[in-house]
Amino acid sequence: MKRQLHCLLVFLFLGVSYLHAQSLTIEGHVKDDNGGALPGVNIVMEGGNQWAVTDMDGYYSIEVPDGNVKLVFSYIGMQTHVEAVNNRTLVDVVLTESFEELESVIVVAYGTSTKEAYTGAASVVENEVIENRPVSSFEKSLQGTTPGLMVSSSSGQPGASATVRIRGIGSLSASSAPLYVLDGIPMSGSVTDINPNDIESVTVLKDAAASSLYGSRAANGVILINTKTGKAGSTRISLTSQLGVSERISDGYALMNSTQFYEHTWMGLYNQALINGASNDDARAYAHANVREFVGYNPFGVENPLDTNGKLISGTQVLTNTDWRDQVYKTGITQNVNLNVSGGSDLTKVFMSLGYFRDSGITLGSDFTRLTNKINVSHKINHFLEVGLNTHLSYSKTNAPPSGSGGANPVRSAEVINAASPVYNEFGEFEWGNKAVFDFNPVGLAELDKYRYETKRAVVNAFFNFKLSPSFNFRTTAGIDNSLNSGLNYYNPEHGNGAGVNGRTTTSNTDNLGWNISNILTYSKRRDRSYFEVLLGQEALGQDFALLSAGVTDFAVPNHPELVWGAKPEQPASFVSSWNMVSYLSQIKFDYDDRYFLSTSARADGSSRFGRNNKYGLFYSFGLGWQITREQWMPELAWLNNAKLRLSYGTSGNNNIGNYASLGLYGSGANYGGYPGLTPIQLANEDLSWEKIQSFNAGFELHLFSRLNASFEFYNRNSDGLLFAKPLSAGLGFGSVLTNLGAMRNTGFEAALNYTLFDSETSVSTLGFNISGNTNEILELTTERIPTGTKLLEVGGSIYQFYMREWAGVNPENGRPMWYVNAESDDRDTTTLPDTAYEDPLGSGKMVTSAYRDAERKRLGTALPKVFGGLNYSYQYKNLEIAMYAFYSLGGKVYNNDYATNMHDGTQPGSNLAVDALDAWTPNNRYTDVPRYSINNMDESNQMSSRFIEDASYLRLKNISVSYHFPDKWTSALHLSSFKAFLSAENLFTLTNYKGFDPEIAINGTTSNTIPGTRVVTIGLKLDL
Amino acid sequence: MKRTIINLCLTAFFSVCLTGCSNDFLDLEPTDSLLEDEVFESYVTASSALIGVYDQLGSPVFEGLYNPIMGDIMGEDLMINSVDNWNWFVEVYQMNMLPNYSYVDNPWRAGYKLIYDTNKIIDNAAFIPDATAEEADRLEGEARVLRAYAMLRLARMYSPAYSKDPDAPSILLNTDSETTENAFERASLREVYAQIESDLLIAVNQLSEQGDKGFFDKRSARAVLARVYLDMQQWDKARDMAKLAYKGLSLMTIGQMYEGFHTRNAETIFAIAYTREDNNVYLSLPSFYWPVGGYSSMRANNDFVNIFSNADARKNFFLRIDEIDPDRHLIVKFGHNAQVGNAERISIRAAEMLLIEAECETELGNFTAAQDALYLVQRRSNPGVLKSVATGQELLEEVLLERRKELFGEGFRWYDIKRRQLPFVRTGDHWAVLSFMASDPDYYRLTFPIPQSEIDANEALDNSDQNTGY
Repeated sequence: MKRQLHCLLVFLFLGVSYLHAQSLTIEGHVKDDNGGALPGVNIVMEGGNQWAVTDMDGYYSIEVPDGNVKLVFSYIGMQTHVEAVNNRTLVDVVLTESFEELESVIVVAYGTSTKEAYTGAASVVENEVIENRPVSSFEKSLQGTTPGLMVSSSSGQPGASATVRIRGIGSLSASSAPLYVLDGIPMSGSVTDINPNDIESVTVLKDAAASSLYGSRAANGVILINTKTGKAGSTRISLTSQLGVSERISDGYALMNSTQFYEHTWMGLYNQALINGASNDDARAYAHANVREFVGYNPFGVENPLDTNGKLISGTQVLTNTDWRDQVYKTGITQNVNLNVSGGSDLTKVFMSLGYFRDSGITLGSDFTRLTNKINVSHKINHFLEVGLNTHLSYSKTNAPPSGSGGANPVRSAEVINAASPVYNEFGEFEWGNKAVFDFNPVGLAELDKYRYETKRAVVNAFFNFKLSPSFNFRTTAGIDNSLNSGLNYYNPEHGNGAGVNGRTTTSNTDNLGWNISNILTYSKRRDRSYFEVLLGQEALGQDFALLSAGVTDFAVPNHPELVWGAKPEQPASFVSSWNMVSYLSQIKFDYDDRYFLSTSARADGSSRFGRNNKYGLFYSFGLGWQITREQWMPELAWLNNAKLRLSYGTSGNNNIGNYASLGLYGSGANYGGYPGLTPIQLANEDLSWEKIQSFNAGFELHLFSRLNASFEFYNRNSDGLLFAKPLSAGLGFGSVLTNLGAMRNTGFEAALNYTLFDSETSVSTLGFNISGNTNEILELTTERIPTGTKLLEVGGSIYQFYMREWAGVNPENGRPMWYVNAESDDRDTTTLPDTAYEDPLGSGKMVTSAYRDAERKRLGTALPKVFGGLNYSYQYKNLEIAMYAFYSLGGKVYNNDYATNMHDGTQPGSNLAVDALDAWTPNNRYTDVPRYSINNMDESNQMSSRFIEDASYLRLKNISVSYHFPDKWTSALHLSSFKAFLSAENLFTLTNYKGFDPEIAINGTTSNTIPGTRVVTIGLKLDL
Repeated sequence: MKRTIINLCLTAFFSVCLTGCSNDFLDLEPTDSLLEDEVFESYVTASSALIGVYDQLGSPVFEGLYNPIMGDIMGEDLMINSVDNWNWFVEVYQMNMLPNYSYVDNPWRAGYKLIYDTNKIIDNAAFIPDATAEEADRLEGEARVLRAYAMLRLARMYSPAYSKDPDAPSILLNTDSETTENAFERASLREVYAQIESDLLIAVNQLSEQGDKGFFDKRSARAVLARVYLDMQQWDKARDMAKLAYKGLSLMTIGQMYEGFHTRNAETIFAIAYTREDNNVYLSLPSFYWPVGGYSSMRANNDFVNIFSNADARKNFFLRIDEIDPDRHLIVKFGHNAQVGNAERISIRAAEMLLIEAECETELGNFTAAQDALYLVQRRSNPGVLKSVATGQELLEEVLLERRKELFGEGFRWYDIKRRQLPFVRTGDHWAVLSFMASDPDYYRLTFPIPQSEIDANEALDNSDQNTGY
């Protein structure tokens, strides 16, 4: 570290004594079309080493050997100009703007590239797609915009980030999340802290040629986030304000009302008694006597509301019929206000923004507020030194009740508390006695309990850029990324989780500090027909995560959650978890004649995360680009504007293996009898290393009829040495050990088409379509087959392949569940039929069983969609703009746990049921798919089986926005430079057969009572001063 | 000049690149855990590792809650409530187990984790540089009792009774902390019990009597051995060990018994030493038993309650409180100590040893000795009771009935039925009614399946190694 700082200082002082001596001095002035002086223009003598840069007023001076040379004037955004000196000593030049070239520059790994010369597979998403979307985090806006990029928001919790996967799932158990790089520096914290309106563009690096330079972190792709920078010229101030309402994305399947549930429970009790051998009359009596106890409440005005057949006596008044969903869900308000200031001169550029985002959430007790500030400054100190600083500051506050299957999850409570249970008792106080989640009234808990999280984030990245000569450039960057998170959970002393200990508060404070230093030297040389570039670099980075947590119980004063109010402290905790990496990298690019483009890169990473025997990894890539239309032999075709072929091959790694995963460890906290204790917590594996991915990519880009842009990609990603928690026999003490033994392949294709429908003075309209298909196949595992809950991992199968018993329906004779025996399945080694097997009475011709355990499990499709992609349409007529983005996903399966909970067939007697359960088998309703309903049902009908697997294909109108620019004459009257009003709506409608709220669920295809997605409609105004 | 500057830059750059960073930069260790090699370098850390094993023993999915609860609801006397219970243990009570249930998987995993932890101590205790021979013996001896205790528990749950067929496949046998082979056959019951016996015999020699009943010592090692011999029907050895185990102890008074079994007393041979700060709170025995303050979902069968004579003080362990449960008997044997979950769990006590003695003496034909031992237990709860004069089978049944009455809720009934191959009969107000004889196919229900996760992960097992019935 010290060494690097010294190096930096040396560079800082180098420039002072810069001298050179030549014979002929040429002076001049460089300006643009409009007569404005251009500072910072590069002037190079063709074929020589002499160079100069214009000063702040556009003047330059260069010494050349004689008067017959040519000078090359180049400036970003301007066409390069070559001027013969012809013995003049005063050479003034006017540069003209070059829109095309400016547009084609894209931000790539450790630099920029022109789109034309780029040999990797990368997509750029511009700010129009990301700005002013009513979502908290930018990655949600990327859904459907870029082929190969899968974005899935599994929770509607405001402020929650989405799951992002590039080109399939690359890892079995390590994180398959891409690497996020903010303004050139890899991020260490959450992306939800970033204000989407600060983003200028996002580059998604997909193949090895694009991402391999990030080495052991690039295996799952890289997302480069490039924030806005100031632009030379008059200062622009713009204010955007947006306000909207949000609601649950759909109604979901209907739940029983109190009468239905009461009657159904009566029937369940009646059936239970019959099954246990009671007579009809005894069974009726038993049901009448117990129905209230099992439901928990009598929702009617009379003591005996049901007739002898368990039906509500007509005319009976219903006093309680709680729609718990209405109680738990609410209409949310979304606010988004942004103030941007952008400006500067050609030497100093500033961008500054303030942002406020608030989403009050659609669920009780959940909301998100974020304040952001961004300052990007760059300054040219002299003709060869430029410095800059990008800072991001943010504060966010989230209230997020727990998810999962615990009683405190309000989303689950809304589904399982039956409608006969009142929210309030007759005194207007909360009623806590429901039978599904006793003592966990979600409305009461939302008022009494607290789940509060705060994040303070500072990202400060500084750079020093030394232009040592026209050919040599040296850049040092240093960055700090610090998140301070604090969380407080408070369980009230009276009800729910805290009742047993008279209230509990747990707090945790984490300090996540990432640092990064890189030094990059580049050499570039352009000759007549060729361009050559070499990059050499070194990078060091690290991350320290520190945690401090404490808890207390036994509260004297209610509604005061701070630790000081609790009488009994609990075991506090603190630790620091760190990792470091040191890297060396290089890249060579060679372009010839604007026809052939070659690139190659190599990077070595040494990481503290890797095991003792595997400290360093080497990653490399090769890329080739070929502009076919530039070939001499290619005929000039009117319809073919451009054709480019790309090929790449390379390796990268995934180091998301945990900080100390290779070490055999004993952990603390195994205390007993008042003595501190230690216990083994992890088995050692000194060979543990990064996961390796070899990826091959072929891409083809076309521009046709001057209207249609098309690109096609085919890829093959072989991942090897996949980190995998190999399940172990209990005899080895641990459930699993981390190994590098898995291998997997993702092959796929991507296509993107963009068509300009019309493009005239007054109106522009474009239509875009993209599609991605990916096949995931496991190539190698430690064990032949590993069933994991709902799934089966096996060689030749997909990572999220469902594996469970196959539902065969309901036996019309007795209402018992049936599963296909599937004796030929390889779940069990034998193919003999069990004793309980019988021929399917529903006529499938297959053998079925009503004994769950006798059915064999079978492969039942995968959670990953076969294809997914996006559609977009934009239309602009004069001052009106309409843009639409749609997303589709086809062929993915879901195991709907939530629905299974609401179809419990009597195993959870007090829990609410879906209305579908009314179709339960009875002697009068023999042909149905819902088994007989009996309290404390022992038929195992709701055990995991294909009964609850659904197709989660869907098409969703992701966003539609309509905006209107008020005419200039109006805005100038208001002294505004522009004034725009817009409407933006997210998730307006969805086309799907899926039963739950939202088919966009966790990527592994199982539901877990998370907050459903939201539908948001916002209106906004944008003023530019 | 320009060349010089460039050269200077390049030199500086490469010197940064190539010298790089020292090795420490890439060798980081966690601050909140110890490298395993360091644990047995000192007696202090090794002792802490032993403490950790006791903590593992007290896990709610092992001896803290699952094992004692399941030991009774897999029987006829107690049940779990079907409502207001968050579905805890319902399938266990219904005796409708599947190999993937957490009730099957968790105790198995927890038990073997405990065994692994003890293997480490047993293999390393002798090499701790700063431990005296006595200290090393204590570490190893206690670890051996813990290992035997866990193995006995697992063998009883996951294999048929030793008395039924000692050659039947039982549990996995791993006593080597170095092995990495992911393949363990199911050892026979004979091999498993031989291992347990050998551990305990060594431990009895290594250990002395300790004052703190929260830790295993010579006495409690003998008590566990008495249980082992009882399973093996080696009546004389079981009797001898039981007598040595209770020698010098006095039975708690009925007043102490009413205190709620939450604190060790004169009769205690071994108790899991939960503390006020360190216990399983809701996942504790009193939480499930005591009528208020926790899950309170354990109930007693009315036929069982009626077996107790009115003069029997233990009858007061049953209560009817309509506001809590209008239908069934609540059980007030296990209470909280001022705070939910704050209760030691008394796992071995003298009364059990007396009853083992009584059972063995009956089997050995020493009826007078059996009657005496039985009377000591009966008299405590019912001072006016007449000493039994029964002999033979009649006496045996009296002893077994007394075990039910004395030890209910302490997790014995399941294994007692299986060990003696008794008929399984649920009568009275059970809500899941089951009855079968030892000869019926349904008797498989008294043996848990081997967890599916084990069969899937263990390279030496496949589904054909599953217990019958599953």
